Amino acid sequence: MSEKTIEKTAPAEGAVSDKATAAEEKAAARQASLIRDGWEILRKRPMFYISAFVIVILLALAIAPGLFTSRSPFSDGFCQLQNSLNPPSSGHMFGYDVQGCDIYTRSVFGTRNSIIVGVVTALATTALGGLLGIIAGLRGGWVDTILSRVTEVFFALPLIVGALLIMSIVGGGDAWSVSLIMAVLGWPQVFRIMRGEVIANKHNDYVMAAKALGADTTRIAFRHILPNTLAPVIVVTTMNLGVYISAEAALSYLGIGIQHPNISWGLMISDATDRFLTSPHALLFPAAVLSITVLAFIMLGDVVRDAFDPKMR
Amino acid sequence: MGRFVVRRILQAIPVLIGVTFLIFYLVFALKGDPIQALAGEKRADPNVAAMLREQYHLNDPKIVQYWHYITGVFTGDLGTTYTGRPISEIVSERFPVTLKLALTAFGIEAVLGITAGIFAALKKGKFIDNLVLISTLVLISIPVFVLGSVLQLELGVKVGITPVAGIDDGWPNSYILPAFVLASTSMAYIARLTRASMMESIRADYVRTAIAKGLPRRRVIGIHTLRNSLIPVVTFLGMDLGALMGGAIITERLFNLPGIGGQLAKSVYLRERPVVVGLVTLLVLIYLVANLVVDLLYAVLDPRIRYE
Amino acid sequence: MRGAKSAKWVAGAAVVALAATACGGGDGDSKGKGGSSGGVISMEIGEPQNLLVPSNTYETEGGQVIHALFTGLTKLNEKSEVVNDLAQAVETKDSKVWTIKLKPGYTFHNGEAVTAKSFIDAWNYGANQDNAQQTNPLFSHIQGYKDLNPGPKKKVATKEMSGLKAVDDNTLQVTLDAPFSAFPAQLSFSAFSPLPKVFFNDPKGFGEAPIGNGPFKMSGKFQHDEKISVVKYDKYPEASKIEVKGVDFKIYSNLDTAYKDLLANNIDFHIAIPDSALATYKKDLDNRVIDTADSSVGFIGFPLKYNEAFKKPELRKALSMAIDRKTIADKIFQGARTPADDFISPIIQGYRKGACGDACNYDPAKAKALFQQAGGLPNNTLEIGYNADGGHKGWVEAVANMLQQNLGIKVTAKPFEKFQAILNDLDAKKYQGAFRMAWNMDYPDMENYLRPIFSKDAIENGSNYAGYVNEDFEKLLVEGDKAPSKDEAIKKYQAADDILAKDMPYIPVYFYKLNAGFSSKIKSISVAGHNVLWDTVKLS
Repeated sequence: MSEKTIEKTAPAEGAVSDKATAAEEKAAARQASLIRDGWEILRKRPMFYISAFVIVILLALAIAPGLFTSRSPFSDGFCQLQNSLNPPSSGHMFGYDVQGCDIYTRSVFGTRNSIIVGVVTALATTALGGLLGIIAGLRGGWVDTILSRVTEVFFALPLIVGALLIMSIVGGGDAWSVSLIMAVLGWPQVFRIMRGEVIANKHNDYVMAAKALGADTTRIAFRHILPNTLAPVIVVTTMNLGVYISAEAALSYLGIGIQHPNISWGLMISDATDRFLTSPHALLFPAAVLSITVLAFIMLGDVVRDAFDPKMR
Repeated sequence: MGRFVVRRILQAIPVLIGVTFLIFYLVFALKGDPIQALAGEKRADPNVAAMLREQYHLNDPKIVQYWHYITGVFTGDLGTTYTGRPISEIVSERFPVTLKLALTAFGIEAVLGITAGIFAALKKGKFIDNLVLISTLVLISIPVFVLGSVLQLELGVKVGITPVAGIDDGWPNSYILPAFVLASTSMAYIARLTRASMMESIRADYVRTAIAKGLPRRRVIGIHTLRNSLIPVVTFLGMDLGALMGGAIITERLFNLPGIGGQLAKSVYLRERPVVVGLVTLLVLIYLVANLVVDLLYAVLDPRIRYE
Repeated sequence: MRGAKSAKWVAGAAVVALAATACGGGDGDSKGKGGSSGGVISMEIGEPQNLLVPSNTYETEGGQVIHALFTGLTKLNEKSEVVNDLAQAVETKDSKVWTIKLKPGYTFHNGEAVTAKSFIDAWNYGANQDNAQQTNPLFSHIQGYKDLNPGPKKKVATKEMSGLKAVDDNTLQVTLDAPFSAFPAQLSFSAFSPLPKVFFNDPKGFGEAPIGNGPFKMSGKFQHDEKISVVKYDKYPEASKIEVKGVDFKIYSNLDTAYKDLLANNIDFHIAIPDSALATYKKDLDNRVIDTADSSVGFIGFPLKYNEAFKKPELRKALSMAIDRKTIADKIFQGARTPADDFISPIIQGYRKGACGDACNYDPAKAKALFQQAGGLPNNTLEIGYNADGGHKGWVEAVANMLQQNLGIKVTAKPFEKFQAILNDLDAKKYQGAFRMAWNMDYPDMENYLRPIFSKDAIENGSNYAGYVNEDFEKLLVEGDKAPSKDEAIKKYQAADDILAKDMPYIPVYFYKLNAGFSSKIKSISVAGHNVLWDTVKLS
């Protein structure tokens, strides 16, 4: 489908190559200062510290949940059905879930799986979708045609079909296989966004200039186009993170999500939905933890974009 | 541009044939016997099951089954479910419902999402911006089922200003609340995408130029900034239209709307291959058209983008 | 059995007659738009699985509609007893040859008279394998059934069962292969309804707008996924007993939604209150509810046929004793289940309270001792499989937690996409763990809780998914079938039941209940066999 292709300009080699190299060097220097400037900006933003702090805590929770609670959700007798859905009380500040398990402890121990699912899936979809999106956008022509048609099939494929099929190949039940399933099914979204941004940006003056100076496609892609397409990709990625964390629970209905006795926020939220009218606390606490996580990543995404997006200067 | 559109439409033919085969094969690869599925937890009677398998060609090799299906399609027969209902009937009953729901949701998320995004961008760091941020978080971390359920109970049962469920009240009454619920997650994406793009564009040279030229701020924002900010938003909306049609399973169930999403889920569950293939192919077609429109819009939004 | 929502044959009769209490405040009632007025009521059902043909309807949703449109020879009354309906008399001397006299005056909704032949033609159609009707095996007691079911790929030589004979227009004679005293009970199943001549010209078209002989006739066609409307058939001989002028069966894909519509007075009867409302429905509805025993039993089963680890009955008994059934019924099911203490449902004649004995009593200390005595499980781990589509997650996880805590082993609850997936893995001898399973009767008789799930024959042709075999049990079943009186039959069956309690091939966990609710428009309503008894419905 493609729009005007750009890589065919091919200036007479030798004649411009010196100039091109010089320009590229200058560009490289500018790039380096872009990153340095970015850090300078970041360091002055309180939001950066706040979000980084929250994320560090989350990582600590994920790595060493035992530091944050004296109970273990895997010990015998942790869940007592008699306590089912008891509201928050002293010593159990989030209350109990349907099975009579302490929600605070489960939220703490659910962090690892949820963070793995959220971060790994978000990064994987962004890397794969982003890369293919740049290729499709820049190359155009048949490459773009094929990749675009493939995404249409992926989009139309019902989640159940895709997930069950991938599961029959890789097995299921842990955070990694869940991430894989969601990444395989999720990349086309980032692909579309990235492709659109590349198409929109490749006609900008700075790309034209670099092109005229003989820079090769890869260089144009990573030096010039990528920084300028960051904004929407960061937005989508940070939002996806939260959506993936809660969507993970949907897979457990197919028998392929994170499974008992493993814990995740998504599972906690979905187990609580049935009775949320009479016992909202079982839903609200894991949902709140999820919100805080997404908030931290959205804030981080915001400041990172402010700092590194050349358009924001 | 005309040639571009024609070429894209021609591309659809091999894509559709490929897709029908692919989906047919994939649904085949899913374990599960559609005839046993009809008997629930009891074991299907062996004689009856054998008879039904024969009747629906389930004993034939995959490729023969596909041949039966695709030759049927070319003579205008989409086949039947394994309980004997014509699929064309299912599609014609359910498609209008889905279309109304999806387009209403599409309108809601586009209007509310973009508006919220613009205000958040213009009032960066102010109350409105934070309000949009918080709403975004709520929409993302509360399951659609819970959000829909609460709204249904409050607005439908307690206040009584919207129908609780069903399509008896027709469009728009029966569709507004479900469409809002369906649109909720995407609305969050659109608001944040719009906000991010707007904030970039506001600082672009041409906007400064326009303001320096003395053009009214409203016009600058409306025409120059917004138009150039819309590309990622339009991309997202294009993808979402298809998702709203095929992925509205939870909303359709919650509001008891007989649409495509619920049927698709049920048919995958029952392993009704012809239904799944028919509906997925329809969805691919919708994605194809939506993406074609998006690609055309790129050129409208940014005149520098042209077609070969 | 297909889960609580779609189980045919639930015989728990439920009668609730409310002394019309104050109508819950004027504004609450007038708000509802409820498409039904003037004696018409609406109720929720799920989308019927098949087109509306009696012999092809083996699930409750379609069954509910068929029951309104058709009248069979016998029916269940409010106490779940089998009584004559269209039959004037059902007589036999040896339980093998049955003579059935029809009441005169019944007609199909197109005017055709209902005769003995209307039944014979319908049953021959239902039993013929070429027609692939879901209820086909229900006709298997009738002599000549095998001629219509020679087996896959074999040609059916005749179209009639030799055991069916029309003595005259109003007398039907049925000869069975062997004595079967529960035959009149079986006749109450809507699969045994008569069919008019027009059916055989176009069964498919008929299924969209069936012509029955029941108290209600179709008003328009089957509107898939939306509704089925029926109106009272004035020429029905007992029309005067029916107060309801018409019924709108509104089709829901979600019980929660239907419940909200009940609260908003958009529907009048909801037969399966969703889990989310169980805690509050009695208060929400001012006690306009039905809360009574139902016929299904929930089990945990073991792949006995190929996994040696579960071989010892003591081990299975230990597992059973480590389950706190009462707390599960109260906390997970909020009272919508009761703890099981027999393999037979409490609504069945022959059920004995506590028949399961110690094995079904919660005693963690004894359980642990017994478990260790029996040698425990390999690797000290146990998996309990469940189908994720049926709302079983909660209780299976609760059982897993209890077993883990009480026996000191690692127990996990493993979800499968649907029950069929468990079944496939069991058939392929792939799945080594325990699994959940439930049984709902086909007819209200003790025998129906034993043979289809625990007999040798049911391994291939029924639901004996465990592969349990016990020769003494088999012998007692046969003796029960041959017993000259019902009481003696029950004694034999109870002896068979005792063997189960000793062997614990499955662990009975809970009995189902029927939880329904209705609007203030209805004064009283009864349900038997999961079907509304329309002559008992009184309007406010």
